[in-house]
Amino acid sequence: MKPGVIFGGPSPEHDISVLTGLQALRALGDALPIYWAKTGELFEVDADLEGADFAAGTPAKARPVRLVTGEGLLGKRDKPLDVSALVNCCHGGPGEDGSLQGALDLAGVRYTGPTVAGAALGMDKLAFGDVVVAAGMTSLPRTVLTEAGSVDFAGPYIVKPRYGGSSIGVEPVADIDTARARLGANVHLRAGAIIEPYKADSADLNIAVRMYPHVELSAIERPQRTQSDGTILDYRDKYVGGEGMASAPREVPADIPDALAERIRRDALAIATLAGVRGIARIDFLLDGDDLYVNEINTIPGSLSKHLWVEPPVAFAQLLADMLAEADARPTVHYTTAGADGTALRSAGTIASKLG
Amino acid sequence: MIWALLVVWLVLIALNDVRWLRVAQREHYEPGRVSRFAWRWGIVGVGLPLHGSRPGPLAWTRRLRTLAVVTAIIEVALLLAVWPIVVLVLAPFLVDLAVFITAPLERRLAGRWVGDATRRLNSVRPTVVAITGSYGKTSTKVYVGHLVATARSVVATPGSFNNRLGLARSINEHLVPGTEVFVAEMGTYGPGEVRDLCSWLPPKIAAITAIGPVHLERFGSEDRTLAAKAEILERAEVAVLNVDDARLAALAPAVDIRVVGVHATDPLVDLAPPTAAATNVAVAIAIARELGVGDDVIAAQLPTLPVPAHRLTETMSDKGFAILDDTFNANPAGTRHALAALARHSGAGSKVLVTPGMYELGPRQAEENASFTRDAASVATHIVVVGRTNRAALLAGAEAGGALEVTAVRNRNAAVAWVRAHLGPGDVVLYVNDQPDHYP
Repeated sequence: MKPGVIFGGPSPEHDISVLTGLQALRALGDALPIYWAKTGELFEVDADLEGADFAAGTPAKARPVRLVTGEGLLGKRDKPLDVSALVNCCHGGPGEDGSLQGALDLAGVRYTGPTVAGAALGMDKLAFGDVVVAAGMTSLPRTVLTEAGSVDFAGPYIVKPRYGGSSIGVEPVADIDTARARLGANVHLRAGAIIEPYKADSADLNIAVRMYPHVELSAIERPQRTQSDGTILDYRDKYVGGEGMASAPREVPADIPDALAERIRRDALAIATLAGVRGIARIDFLLDGDDLYVNEINTIPGSLSKHLWVEPPVAFAQLLADMLAEADARPTVHYTTAGADGTALRSAGTIASKLG
Repeated sequence: MIWALLVVWLVLIALNDVRWLRVAQREHYEPGRVSRFAWRWGIVGVGLPLHGSRPGPLAWTRRLRTLAVVTAIIEVALLLAVWPIVVLVLAPFLVDLAVFITAPLERRLAGRWVGDATRRLNSVRPTVVAITGSYGKTSTKVYVGHLVATARSVVATPGSFNNRLGLARSINEHLVPGTEVFVAEMGTYGPGEVRDLCSWLPPKIAAITAIGPVHLERFGSEDRTLAAKAEILERAEVAVLNVDDARLAALAPAVDIRVVGVHATDPLVDLAPPTAAATNVAVAIAIARELGVGDDVIAAQLPTLPVPAHRLTETMSDKGFAILDDTFNANPAGTRHALAALARHSGAGSKVLVTPGMYELGPRQAEENASFTRDAASVATHIVVVGRTNRAALLAGAEAGGALEVTAVRNRNAAVAWVRAHLGPGDVVLYVNDQPDHYP
């Protein structure tokens, strides 16, 4: 038995997920690479492939793999693959929103990272923001953007896809009419959009957290905005022209006052419990003057946030080993049939009498 | 001695086979086509060059390899009974026989691909846009993909995948879950083919770009072409028709679904790059609107419309003369568009047209080619006629138009050599169409 690494997926972040996956494969040494194609099929691929080998689609020598409920991952002639657990390196889309997690649960395959519930909450910016606010922390006012609905805070605004990450599809707009017009014009907003106040001068502050083998916070990072006009940290800033998130320009640890760092750490710990963090999650904050806002949680962050574990340093291989141990020690499935003992069925009589 | 002789014969037969296998591939493995070309160019293909390179080097695809093996088996069996010369002479018919024999196998393989594509279509369920027309299909498809790309998740695969297998390939490779719009180009060589495609891939929006004398050799007449293209409307909810085309304008009132008539004069068209054919742009704009994309979004996308490769793209040669590349294929409307671009070109020096003319125009081939060079004579300072197939018609047209200078060369390489020897800074050369290697 050896671990597997699953990456790719039908998501706008497919490419960056391939990079995260390949980094994890290199760090693990002996692991089975499972590639999830943009078209939705699963393949077993060679471990020595490079990112460019995936640029034109599924690599040539990929072997089809099927994920079957109750049976797990099946390879050639439906022979089960010898995989102990999967390191989930999928960013965005069904790999990070609970879909893959649900499929793996039903198939009986263990995996790292969020559960169905944790993934779904982390992917829904609106629900996550509400959970944070309900727990007494501060987040920017955030509401659903619709063609007709109104907004009770002043502009300028920022429009974001309700589900998704990586700043893809995020747009600052001057007023509510422009925001509404973007609904029909921005493909990334088709599945739902949220709107919140745009803080032009705010800074990003990120921290990673893990719960296993014990609760632990990473250093705080301040990503640098280099591309475009610097208004928002965009996809290019984060990923293009490097080995993914790990090589993006940043300041780690961020040079910030102790009191602020302490508040970020306190909020991050509270959120880790609220959001049921499993594996490594990155929590993003916005600092606007002296005001700190919880922005969002990334349950499968780029490069699994390996670059944030600098104080004390934790090697990527160690992080992965711990995640795999957690996959074993903290199962994702807690199905129970207690109470479904047939009593209700026996006393119900016929369905026809119920209908009458 | 006898063995050496046999080896020589086998080599000759193999080389000859490659030539006819190439024709089979170029003619899309349609049974009977190779034999027709054998009548045209002589049984042993005297007129047909041995070495093919247009529209690209011979690609030894899986399908061509199968055909080659089956052909070889037939020939070896025949060699036991008859003289080698007979096998050599009969080669085109033997290739055709192999095409016929392998057809059921190919249909089964294709069926598997199409089955996969059908399953994918049924699970993704995109809005299907189907585009047909005698020309402009591929460009229009690419334009639609570009115009709606920021507002909808769309698949409009580049390249001319326009039959069932090609579309199945596009679907299998690109139709990811969540795709909202699939833009399909539908090609046809005869009645019933588009209807057949639409029963498999029913479009919501169907567009016809233009009707012209293309593939007349197979259709027979432009009325039959129109009827075959109009099949695309049968299952659609909206018809987008280029009503600048007289035949499509006449068709519009007879269509029983909602018709969107398109004119090249749509004011938005001016935002597109000038080398993009206005009617194709206009049709793409109308389709984007039908998909619910706003004019503001369309207007923002138009200036960056990708001009497809070899369709009137302009480059600069290392010798300083401009090259207008319109070699993708040619049709009467396209050649007029290309000549207009040559006339418009700012180059102060010579304006040279290089062309092998147009193919597959049936009874109108000579007439259309002559008309092309007659028009070109008033625009170009020099006309270079490539190849033999259309040479007489092109030369006659150029003479009738009073062309200043006319040169005839054997093939494209000779034409390129001529151009490089005679042109320099300030000059411009327009290449219209390429010489397919089975039409010398």
